[in-house]
Amino acid sequence: MAQTADLPLLSEAHAAFVQRHTSMNVAGRDAHNRPALARGLGIRVAPDRLTLTVYLSTTHSARLLQCLRDCGAIAVAVTRPTTHETLQFKGRVREILPLSDEDRAEMAAYQDSFAAELEPLGYRRDFVRQLLAGSEHGVAVVFEPTAMFDQTPGPKAGEKLGEKP
Amino acid sequence: MSITLESIRRCFEGALPAQIATCALDGTPNVAYLSQVHYVDSEHVALSFQFFSKTRENVLANPYAQVQVMEPVTGLQYQLALQYLRTETEGPLFEYMKARLAGVASQTGMSKVFRLRGSDVYRVLDIHCTEPHAQQDKPMPENRMPALRACVQRLAKCADLSSLLDELLAGLARHFGIEHAMVLMFDAAAGRLYTVASLGYAESGVGSEVMLGEGVIGVAAGQQTPIRIAYLTGDYAYSRALRDRLGDCEKEIPFPGLAEPHSQLAMPIVAGGRLLGVLYAESEQKLRFTYEDEDALMALAGQIGFAMQAFEHNGESVDEQPGAPAPSASDGTEVAVKLYPADNSVFVDGEYLIKGVAGAILWKLLRDHAQGRSEFSNRELRLDASLRLPDISDNLEARLILLQKRLAERCPFLRIEKTGRGRFRLAVERPVRLEGNA
Repeated sequence: MAQTADLPLLSEAHAAFVQRHTSMNVAGRDAHNRPALARGLGIRVAPDRLTLTVYLSTTHSARLLQCLRDCGAIAVAVTRPTTHETLQFKGRVREILPLSDEDRAEMAAYQDSFAAELEPLGYRRDFVRQLLAGSEHGVAVVFEPTAMFDQTPGPKAGEKLGEKP
Repeated sequence: MSITLESIRRCFEGALPAQIATCALDGTPNVAYLSQVHYVDSEHVALSFQFFSKTRENVLANPYAQVQVMEPVTGLQYQLALQYLRTETEGPLFEYMKARLAGVASQTGMSKVFRLRGSDVYRVLDIHCTEPHAQQDKPMPENRMPALRACVQRLAKCADLSSLLDELLAGLARHFGIEHAMVLMFDAAAGRLYTVASLGYAESGVGSEVMLGEGVIGVAAGQQTPIRIAYLTGDYAYSRALRDRLGDCEKEIPFPGLAEPHSQLAMPIVAGGRLLGVLYAESEQKLRFTYEDEDALMALAGQIGFAMQAFEHNGESVDEQPGAPAPSASDGTEVAVKLYPADNSVFVDGEYLIKGVAGAILWKLLRDHAQGRSEFSNRELRLDASLRLPDISDNLEARLILLQKRLAERCPFLRIEKTGRGRFRLAVERPVRLEGNA
């Protein structure tokens, strides 16, 4: 299961899965190991799939961002609401950057896909807009995943799909 | 804590999954999805423990967790800082959560996957809304106090169980807009509940029975806990389970409930620590009943319980002036009434009517009627050894209401008519032939 550092944990299919139609949540912790949590506003997989960038709001997830800055440990769960298919990544934060134009375009495309995913479940656009509130004050959290887990509810939940040394 | 748990209870309806973050002792965070966050009281929530997971491993080692819930209408998100206290694997909280989880599982297509192993109880340390400007547009939960007040006023006018039941159901319909409801009384000796009044069904179902532990009503009774389910679930449906159980059906009255209730609310009626019955409401709409409905109907069930208890105690008193006897004119076709002493079931012209205590009472009344009597008192029934009535807690008045309603529905030529407090008359309008040896 352990992989060499220069090979990505994510397959191309994993990368395609996480970037659209999903709901994502990000966890960190403080110096006393108290957890912090916030909704991710989009996620982008680098072309080499070695790093992921998750977008967070500075106004809506201030405590989590502080934890990520202070401690660097990050967990990100990504689930597709209509199928419950879920992945969780654990890793280390590399850097926290202001949004680029490319990031903003990526966030907008993701958010459209998320709204489309929730629409058949009966959730209107303004509901989804509130879920993703704070996007205008976004930052890009770049992290390197060191472990990936299948978290789809069922017998295989919790199975480790890959790990880096 | 500036935001109270009560003010965000709508977030706990299970419409959308909640998320939980925990942290291992080595400092590795974990984030997972939760099927159910359950409001316990103003300082505690319980989370459903379904799988042996990293979340569970973490909280057992490091009890702090952060849970995020969504308001199902506005999309506002709230974060709860929690501290794990204990896990309950039986009892009222566990059974309530199990029933609700069945609803959520069914709604989300996860019935085969979800099984409640335990209710993890957490103390709520802090509640935070992620939206900095949320206070202005936070929706107010619907206020049920005026409806509750109107119902309580109706009940306060009632002097006997029969009018209490009528006013209760009328009040639920009028003030709560409830379309389908029933009241079941607990038969402690038999360990089951029987329907004594209902609202909004094609057949009243009066006399139909529910076993303790069976479906939402049976679990609410057995655990003496309210149960509210917001979605259709096969696990707690009555219709099919009951039909399966009642293969012969000969001596059973069909349960009147909806075939596919999408919302169910069962309130135990308890007084003096004793289970008296269950108040049950249901709807074809999902998410029909809110936490506020649950609060209000629980208060109402408490009120009903005390009233029932009071009527039990004064049900033995008798009016000084019994009503004038009315002659019973028995003519028309003779009707055959047969008693099966094994369970006191009574058949009228071969059709099942009633059984148990109510069956024994009817038989006694008909035998006495054959001797020329038509006026009776509750007290003499209570003292009649042949009826083998359980102790006073059995609620004789409820048996009489049941018998009265069954007669009205099935044999209108036999009527129980109240003539005063603790007194009634048996009116027999056709000749009766008694077949039985009791």
